[in-house]
Amino acid sequence: MLRYVVRRLLLLIPILFGLSILVFFWVRALPGSPISSILGERATPALIQQYKERYGLDEPIYKQYVKQLRAWSHADFGTSIATHRTITYEIKQRFPATVELAVAAMIFAISIGLPLGFFAAKKYGGLFDHASLFISLIGISIPVFFLAIILKYIFAVRLGWLPTVGRQSVLIETEHPTNFYILDAIITRDWAALWDAIRHLILPAIALGSIPLAIITRITRASVLDVQNEDYVRTARAKGLAPITVDQRHVLRNAMLPITTIIGLQVGLLLSGAVLTETVFAWPGIGSWLRDAIFNRDYPVIQGGILFVALIFVLVNLIVDISYAIINPRIRYS
Amino acid sequence: MSLAEAEAVEIGIEAPGGLWSEAWRKLIRNPGAITGAVIVGVMVLTALFAPVIAPDDPRFTDLNALNHGQPVGPNAEHWFGIDTLGRDEFSRIVYGTRYSLLIGVVAVMIGLTVGLTLGAIAGYAGGYADSAIMRCMDVMLAIPGFLLAIGIVAMLGPGLGKIMVAVGIVNIPIFARLLRSSILAQKQNDFVLAAKAVGVRGRSVLTAHILPNAISPVIVAATLAMATAIIDVAGLGFLGLGPQDPSTPEWGTMLTDANNYLSSAPFLAIIPGLAIVLSVLGFNLIGDGLRETLDPKLRGR
Repeated sequence: MLRYVVRRLLLLIPILFGLSILVFFWVRALPGSPISSILGERATPALIQQYKERYGLDEPIYKQYVKQLRAWSHADFGTSIATHRTITYEIKQRFPATVELAVAAMIFAISIGLPLGFFAAKKYGGLFDHASLFISLIGISIPVFFLAIILKYIFAVRLGWLPTVGRQSVLIETEHPTNFYILDAIITRDWAALWDAIRHLILPAIALGSIPLAIITRITRASVLDVQNEDYVRTARAKGLAPITVDQRHVLRNAMLPITTIIGLQVGLLLSGAVLTETVFAWPGIGSWLRDAIFNRDYPVIQGGILFVALIFVLVNLIVDISYAIINPRIRYS
Repeated sequence: MSLAEAEAVEIGIEAPGGLWSEAWRKLIRNPGAITGAVIVGVMVLTALFAPVIAPDDPRFTDLNALNHGQPVGPNAEHWFGIDTLGRDEFSRIVYGTRYSLLIGVVAVMIGLTVGLTLGAIAGYAGGYADSAIMRCMDVMLAIPGFLLAIGIVAMLGPGLGKIMVAVGIVNIPIFARLLRSSILAQKQNDFVLAAKAVGVRGRSVLTAHILPNAISPVIVAATLAMATAIIDVAGLGFLGLGPQDPSTPEWGTMLTDANNYLSSAPFLAIIPGLAIVLSVLGFNLIGDGLRETLDPKLRGR
């Protein structure tokens, strides 16, 4: 097991190296120099020279790269041009919001997708099966932002059941020790704030969870169908085990392997989809932050944000791979 | 050409021929694929005959048509209503079909041509070329697709052509990886060994024997990529990174404007949204049908 983990970690090195080069040169390929984006177009040559020296932009490119790499390894992603706050500070403020949304979306997707796919496979070819296929087909065909707009229109604008934007009502005043609002409300035992946070979370989570829901349903259905016809399942049935025991111990357990991988892969999708969902619901997370950064041409934010999201994505995939190797011994030795 | 070589070439051509005709027979019996084909067919016709179908110029603004400055809902004269600038929504949807199809085709073509070339080189050549190409692809895949597209648009600047390029680039590693693994699987096959044994040249082995057999998962992926490309481009358009001329009837961009008028004119959001869903659904249905007929793992069922 340890050998597998080490090998997997070693494979990360070229990816991280490549990623840093890509992001480094991406900033240098942007229209206009970094200097003009900080100082504006009417900066005097003397001021430009001063900034060049300050940021080391007059040094050879490989030196700049090494310098940048050193800064990144100290979690220093620079400063936002728009807000003048450090990128690290902004990420600390905003990342919990995105994580909260992504976790809620994933809970929604798994708690509905898993049973839906499982019972569709059990009733293969029946009405329920067709219904689940139809739902998952619509789920992957509907753009996240369109679903978000429709949900917002029906449940927030027309029915008025749920709030339209943000994470919290303006009337709620509460402490935020962690910036995970649900967690904060539980810690401070502020039940009104908890209810308020949950109400804000429902619509964005459903919108963001729609694609993972569709994919989890499909994979669960296919995976259960595959496993159901295996010899060991037939043996288990033949020796007279109760159907529910066969389902739990033999079918679900083996069918879960591909499902866990797919769930892990959805994380990237959630982080990307968050840009659109957060924009529709004005959710103050990483996604809406990046969107604003593009409009403000706030390049340090785009650079830091993309680098950060990519790091999280790579890390999550690593964890998924390792946990997959733990549940499935066949992987370790291949 | 030796007799054996001629035979090998013949086998190489005949085998996929059999596969394709069998796949075609299955495909036309698949109700999902037929539905998808009808949807895409209608889209293509709408795009081709847009000037005939659309009653108005999609860019023509008529502020007098507004009701006290407000957009007007669907009625007998304007089937899909009038948007915030007094333009006929139905005409805009009809012309939007052109953009949606064009976007999908161009984005997938960029991803296909570059991705397939890289994948074919990596898979067939192996060695350092393989490692170098695939490590680069890994780096691209380390950034979630839509974010990578956003990063590329930030670099190129907004615009319709640029978001197509961005979505195309995002597709490159997906196709490269797919074709490479498919080629690696085919390389193990006996007919490849046979072709090599009778002295078929390297390039012919790749183009005449390996590629035709390795291409079917790529066809499936390309169809499904059309669906994703339409969604992604609409998403970039929705973020305001699409065509900078606001009169362009691109569906995603139309949704951006509509989001601000949600309470007074919800149809302006619902109609272009449904148009996107329908077109994406069409390509997904065809893609699923193709997968069911072409995927060797599912073929026996």
